[in-house]
Amino acid sequence: MYSFAHLSDVHLGFQKNVPLQQIEERVFEDAIDQCIERKVDFVLIPGDLFHVNIPEMRVQKFAVRKFRQLHEADIPVYVVYGSHDFSPVSNSVIDLLTEAGYLTKVSKQKQSSDDRISLEFTKDSKTGAKIVGLPGLTAGKELVYYENLDRESLESEDGFKIFLFHAGLAELKSEVSAKTDFMPISLLPKGFDYYAGGHMHTHTLEKYPDYPNIVYPGTLFSGYYSDLEENAKGRKRGFVLVQFDDKIQKVEFVPIDNVGYEIIEYNADKKNVKTVNLDLAKSVKEIDPGNKIVIIKVFGELASGKTSEIDFTALREELKQNNVLEVKINRTHLSSKDYNITPASGKNKDEIETNVFKENIGDVRLEQKELLGDPGVKLAKKLLQELGQPSLVNEKKAQYQKRIEENAMELLELKIDDS
Amino acid sequence: MNEVDIVGQVIGGEFGDIVIREKSGKNLEIGDLLVSEEDNGFLILQVFSLEYGSQIKETMQQMMSGVNLEQGVVDAGFYEPEFVNYVLAKIRALARVSTAKTVTMPKTLPSFFNKLRLIASKDLEFLTKGENQILLGNVRSGTKVIDAEVWIDAQDVFSHHILIPATTGRGKSNLVKTIMWHVLDSNKVGVLILDAHDEYYGRHGVGLKDHPKAKDNLVYYTPSNPPPGCNKLTINLQSLRPDHFEGILEFSDAQWQAIRTYYKQDRDFWLARIMQEPITPVMEGINASTLAVLKRRFRLTLGLDVDDEGRVFSHNEVFDSGARGVTLADDIIQDIEAGKVVILDTSRLVDEAELIIGNIIASEIFERYKDYKVRGELERKPVVTVVIEEAPRVIGEDVLASQGNNIYSTIAREGRKFKIGLTAITQMSSVIPRAILANINTKIILGNEMAQERQAIIASASQDLSSDDRNIASLDRGEAIISSIFVPFAIPIKIPLFEDLVKKKPAADASVKQKVF
Repeated sequence: MYSFAHLSDVHLGFQKNVPLQQIEERVFEDAIDQCIERKVDFVLIPGDLFHVNIPEMRVQKFAVRKFRQLHEADIPVYVVYGSHDFSPVSNSVIDLLTEAGYLTKVSKQKQSSDDRISLEFTKDSKTGAKIVGLPGLTAGKELVYYENLDRESLESEDGFKIFLFHAGLAELKSEVSAKTDFMPISLLPKGFDYYAGGHMHTHTLEKYPDYPNIVYPGTLFSGYYSDLEENAKGRKRGFVLVQFDDKIQKVEFVPIDNVGYEIIEYNADKKNVKTVNLDLAKSVKEIDPGNKIVIIKVFGELASGKTSEIDFTALREELKQNNVLEVKINRTHLSSKDYNITPASGKNKDEIETNVFKENIGDVRLEQKELLGDPGVKLAKKLLQELGQPSLVNEKKAQYQKRIEENAMELLELKIDDS
Repeated sequence: MNEVDIVGQVIGGEFGDIVIREKSGKNLEIGDLLVSEEDNGFLILQVFSLEYGSQIKETMQQMMSGVNLEQGVVDAGFYEPEFVNYVLAKIRALARVSTAKTVTMPKTLPSFFNKLRLIASKDLEFLTKGENQILLGNVRSGTKVIDAEVWIDAQDVFSHHILIPATTGRGKSNLVKTIMWHVLDSNKVGVLILDAHDEYYGRHGVGLKDHPKAKDNLVYYTPSNPPPGCNKLTINLQSLRPDHFEGILEFSDAQWQAIRTYYKQDRDFWLARIMQEPITPVMEGINASTLAVLKRRFRLTLGLDVDDEGRVFSHNEVFDSGARGVTLADDIIQDIEAGKVVILDTSRLVDEAELIIGNIIASEIFERYKDYKVRGELERKPVVTVVIEEAPRVIGEDVLASQGNNIYSTIAREGRKFKIGLTAITQMSSVIPRAILANINTKIILGNEMAQERQAIIASASQDLSSDDRNIASLDRGEAIISSIFVPFAIPIKIPLFEDLVKKKPAADASVKQKVF
């Protein structure tokens, strides 16, 4: 009996604060160490191993160390790019690790006479498993690969076959979402023994006719802040361990503990700011935040006051004094009746924007007359237009941000001082 | 007018029943469109009846025939037969076209003794194509196809409902595919097609999938073995509410009571709970026979059953009691709101299950569009049409009388206000209530040999078709008459063969081979 480990969406380099960076590294280290201890025959990582294509040196050094250990244990690692770590010019740390012989990219393209994409299987020397896959691209652009894929040649290949992919599958969606980067399962080539998925951050195992094992291990810790909220609600994170001979025998989820959590969910609907501040302060006092991540989620429509008047800074300070590891505040669904945006209609985008500004400018309480009434609407429209400018070809992110900021400041007739 | 073009001359009759004498050898046909050139424009007229005329008395004609038949050696004939024997055609005016190309209802007779010619494409220049229109076909004069296309504004026509009445084999699916082919050109119309015969997508031949924009604008859901890029039709049982069954499945008061009780207690899981419930119900006030009937009804209509481990499953693989298909209805609605054509292959479902699935989606769209209207956002939304075959299943008089209104009848009555229409296909227009028929402002009438059905169509048409009974009966496959408030007169058309449309599609740009990273 052979075995392999399947992990994905590690997002190494995502965390910005040291305590969370340490957890990020620890869980990955734990997963790799378990792979070595369990003597798996190979490891699959279908994308988003790193949060960006070239993460900071700290992350790269850590990754090289762990993959060298796998290499020395004679455990090959088969990968495809994910939507976060891909590079159209092979300029990703994935390519560096591939060049070093620590990783093997299995999205190998064969020469073919037509416009279709033909892929070449990589055969694992120890087990004979035939492995192939397609990378993920940003904004679901990988769809074009699947639409042009020569699936017949993949489906007709015999033997034990694994397909790596980095994409969301529409049939496995569990929440209504406006996102369009999901694809139907029917785009995957049929008849593989195992479909190693990445991109979806929740562990899933589904079986469909022609697709016997569609598996996402989910993220190891967190690739989005919403993952932390899921963790706080009890979501287990880990990797998948698979045993097989000429077919899949067992698919097992191996959980990896990360850290303790506390979550405060507060419905501020129809309450005033004073009440909310008092209630939240009380809730914070009631929890034990020591060495934990604390999530504060406030939602609903305030009856009066500004959302910015909710004193999250005080809550953070209180928690810090009690040795909290990290505080994450989610106020995405928090609004105020006093400061709600009233929608307005129009025949086109320009008219809608003008009407929305006209409809809402009366709610703005400022002393500067040039920011109120018709002049305010005109200025707001100009500002919106300026902020919506796309980046220029070859313009770097920092340059783009600086240019937009400067233009916006100029429009507002403001100057940036040295501070 | 060129003498060679003349096909007849006005010789008598009255308004709506004008008599012309056919020029010998011109062989006028029922449905031929004629032109009478008048001061300040011309009249378009249509032949609706043909009969013989003769200057010889009938008794004399009978005697002549006797001579020919009984004394075969005699080769008897008429002297200058083209003068003495001829064809009389009855025609009626359809429209008056001014020199400025304004089309109005005719209110005068053609000039007496005026010579008439067959219509030509230049006479129909007023049928110009505008933006966001759909092609219905070419103008037809009798069996002759004129080089003039009939385009109609998609938003107008779909929001005011379309009826396609025809019997089997007269080209209904060809017509629907032709209409949808043009809808796919843009994102101005969102369409939900309940495809009971799985004939529109083109799984096994040409179909809407062959449209150049199908990849972006066409979405196909099927319960089994979806082609690459298509979706599996899976609806989670949690998406079904008791009201989705209203007007579609008939339940007794006791059965409704039981359904509501389970819904109140188990909310989203009410249906699964009914199926899993032991036959002796634990719920107070529900007797065992009521529960047994409900289980049987849901088994027969939705294909639901319970496996050995107590899990609810559906034999047709469409309904799921686990985690699958939770977002399907919302995904479909998002696509429709984005102006896409969504085809649901319901060929493996029984009638009721098909209608219930349509109900889940149509009622949600209806509610959302009502809300958009309140918020002033409706104008920005695409018009929506729900294409349904055998429409009397939901808007038939007996169904509405016995089971009350359903979402389809609500759309037929009120949908127009919210930019939602029905495209109703039927062989039995006569069983649709007149109030609903009158609300359907476009009828694309295909051939129909049943007199009762023709009468129902004629009685509810947007134009006076009272003399078109025989014309409708004689429509061949692919021939139709459009009666609509959006066309100046009832236009006879020839619907293009869908396969020809597919052949004419522009060649795809040479694609660049993708590089895999």
